[in-house]
Amino acid sequence: MSGSETPAKRDGTARPSSWPAIASIGVATVYLIALLGAEKQSVIISLLVAGIAAVLAGGWFGIFGGVSRAFSEHEDRMGLLAIVALLAMAAWFHEDHFVLLLVVTVLLTTVATLGLNIQFGYAGVLNFAGASFFGIGAYTSAVLNTTAVPHLLVPLIGGALAALIGSVLLLPVLRTRGHYAALITIAFALLFKTFLEVNDVLGGPQGMPVKGMTLFGWSLNDNVEIGGITLSFYMSYFVLSLALLAVAFVLVRRLERSWIGLNLDALRLDETAAACFGLDITRWKITAFLIGNILIGIAGALFGTVGGFVGPNNYTFADSLILVSILLLGGIGNPWGLIVATFIVIVVPEKLQTIQEYRFLLYAVMVICVLLFRPEGLLPRPVRRYFPGWRP
Amino acid sequence: MMKSGKLAGAVIATLVITLAAAVAEAKDKVKVGYIGPLTGGVSVNGIGGRNSAELAVKLRNADAKTKYDYEMIVLDDECKPNVAVQVATKMAADKEIIAGATHYCSAAAIAAVDTYHKFGFPVIVWGAVLPDITYRNKYAEIHRVNGTMINQNDANAELIHKLGFKTIAVIHDTTDYGKGHNEYFAKAIERGGKAKIVGTFGVTADQQDFTAELTQIKALNPEVIYFGGLTPIGVRIRSQMDKLGLNAVFDGTSGIVSDAFIQGLGPLAEGTLAFREGAPTNKLPGGKFFMENYNAQKYDNPPEAYGAFAYAAMDMLIDTIEKVGPDRKKVIAELANVKDRDSIVGKITFDDHGQNMVPVITKFVIQDGKFVEWDESEYAAGKRKLPGQK
Repeated sequence: MSGSETPAKRDGTARPSSWPAIASIGVATVYLIALLGAEKQSVIISLLVAGIAAVLAGGWFGIFGGVSRAFSEHEDRMGLLAIVALLAMAAWFHEDHFVLLLVVTVLLTTVATLGLNIQFGYAGVLNFAGASFFGIGAYTSAVLNTTAVPHLLVPLIGGALAALIGSVLLLPVLRTRGHYAALITIAFALLFKTFLEVNDVLGGPQGMPVKGMTLFGWSLNDNVEIGGITLSFYMSYFVLSLALLAVAFVLVRRLERSWIGLNLDALRLDETAAACFGLDITRWKITAFLIGNILIGIAGALFGTVGGFVGPNNYTFADSLILVSILLLGGIGNPWGLIVATFIVIVVPEKLQTIQEYRFLLYAVMVICVLLFRPEGLLPRPVRRYFPGWRP
Repeated sequence: MMKSGKLAGAVIATLVITLAAAVAEAKDKVKVGYIGPLTGGVSVNGIGGRNSAELAVKLRNADAKTKYDYEMIVLDDECKPNVAVQVATKMAADKEIIAGATHYCSAAAIAAVDTYHKFGFPVIVWGAVLPDITYRNKYAEIHRVNGTMINQNDANAELIHKLGFKTIAVIHDTTDYGKGHNEYFAKAIERGGKAKIVGTFGVTADQQDFTAELTQIKALNPEVIYFGGLTPIGVRIRSQMDKLGLNAVFDGTSGIVSDAFIQGLGPLAEGTLAFREGAPTNKLPGGKFFMENYNAQKYDNPPEAYGAFAYAAMDMLIDTIEKVGPDRKKVIAELANVKDRDSIVGKITFDDHGQNMVPVITKFVIQDGKFVEWDESEYAAGKRKLPGQK
């Protein structure tokens, strides 16, 4: 991969080949299919160890430099390829309800962390109540799916409600800074859970069931049969979640690249300096906070429908911390890192079910190792590229 | 990283060896499932239940007369509704798993019942006490060997009346478990008519400091403090009562019938009342057999209060599979006929909702660091007075 520093590249006539990135997506897909399909304790643990070893070896031999260059040069193509890879994965597991549920959980959690990414990663607005806004979305779907509201609109309403309820926090968050702003969102997370527990209309501590989605008279909770092949009912949710993730991803990427993203970055790096250059700090903080919450709420609403049940225990402060830890693990500000981190945070503990009560111990050790050896996250945010493919 | 690599290598090696040792017999393999909270605040109960269910499987596999070789798949519901739905989907969607003994936490069980119904997966609940789990719907797949909180609170109120207490303060956690207990206890007390509830306090299940509630209760000066909740906050409330000098009889529910409660409180646990469905393990026809076999396995944890129920649930599932073969539909049909079936927790009869109608409730009091049956205790005999009794 050291060949990418050739004179041909310098004068701007040739771009680095996209093959390293294509190969890495291919390898990752095959690996994920093997991991998700594995059932035996020994196989799962060997796969996890092999995965860690491969990543370490890749880092040692400097393969990743080429991969990341290829990624940043051909991002749009790689995005499409990632979608194809996910579809291939879903096709492989088309009958396997549980694996699809797990993958849908990963996709929707990624959408939620993309929302957090706008707040934390770009604008530097702290939000430790991510799971609460996720919960607002989920409860919206629990309440509205039983009414005549078109089910496709429900996630959007969930997002709007998350932003609306979140705006209660705007004033205190804007008036405080750093740790104090964080404390306010933590307080909100605790209040939100207690509110749900004492509220009998919303099912109280026991939670409430969520009706499945019906789109144009077609119930998404039924298995699909096409030409003798039975598709799990989670497949339709998978397609929906993937579409949502694709839209959210493009949106976040465009936002980052636009002048809004530039303003948000300036705001995060130095508020005073940004204000001196005439940026309206309040306005941009509000923008980031609301857009983030909308994304989290939409993901939550869809997730509530997929899970079929909402309860206060799902939306505790601890769950918010898990969302934040995904952000830290993936590398704050890099949406690609988020996808990798969400897979790790959701799939690994689930796969470790085979070692029963010790699974969180092993999982915690893994996370600590990552933070120890990659303090900036697995895929740190690269330097801003003003024009894709442009070289001085 | 080198160290962790070596460690992982060692772990894999051990796992491979144990796996190789396990695969030795030639009978048809049948998979059964177990779900309980293996991590989190109530994990002792989940692990105790897991060990007990595993014991049922081991004893059966050791018997040469069985038709099948059983393998138990264990999943962790973390006592959370969303995780419960996830693992229930995982277990029920796996066609190789025929039936399962599932859930200690009511919130987890109630979230998962729809999933079991959807997949036609027969389960026997082994520890969750919320009445709704069996009674909200009439699902043929759902059964339960332990009783509900209704029976428990009737017995509790009866004892309170018998002891002549007049004033009671209620503390309950705001989960379905605590709120259910509050509701059924209040009803039972009202029916009795002689005692009065002077105050009711809801607390969250992870609350640390109860000074505010306990100070108010102190002003009300009740004779009894009824607590509807699980062991962790039960321990906190009882010890903070002591710090505030609050003297009253501490009256708990099945949620504190756990050795962890006594360990957490030490001498302060003395004289605490608690209630549980079924006869105490050592009083059961198969209780001695169960404890002897359990101890022989040298598990790190005791079976805890519901271990015998987990054993009974798993044993009944295996009995049924032996009789009708590994077929989910046949298992469901056969479980509907369970009547006066002997088990280590006494006779089991499922009603049309799959609920075991055991009327037996055991009253416990903690005496000298042990849960002793009330009628056999020195407190009932009048030799000792309950701490806080006025």
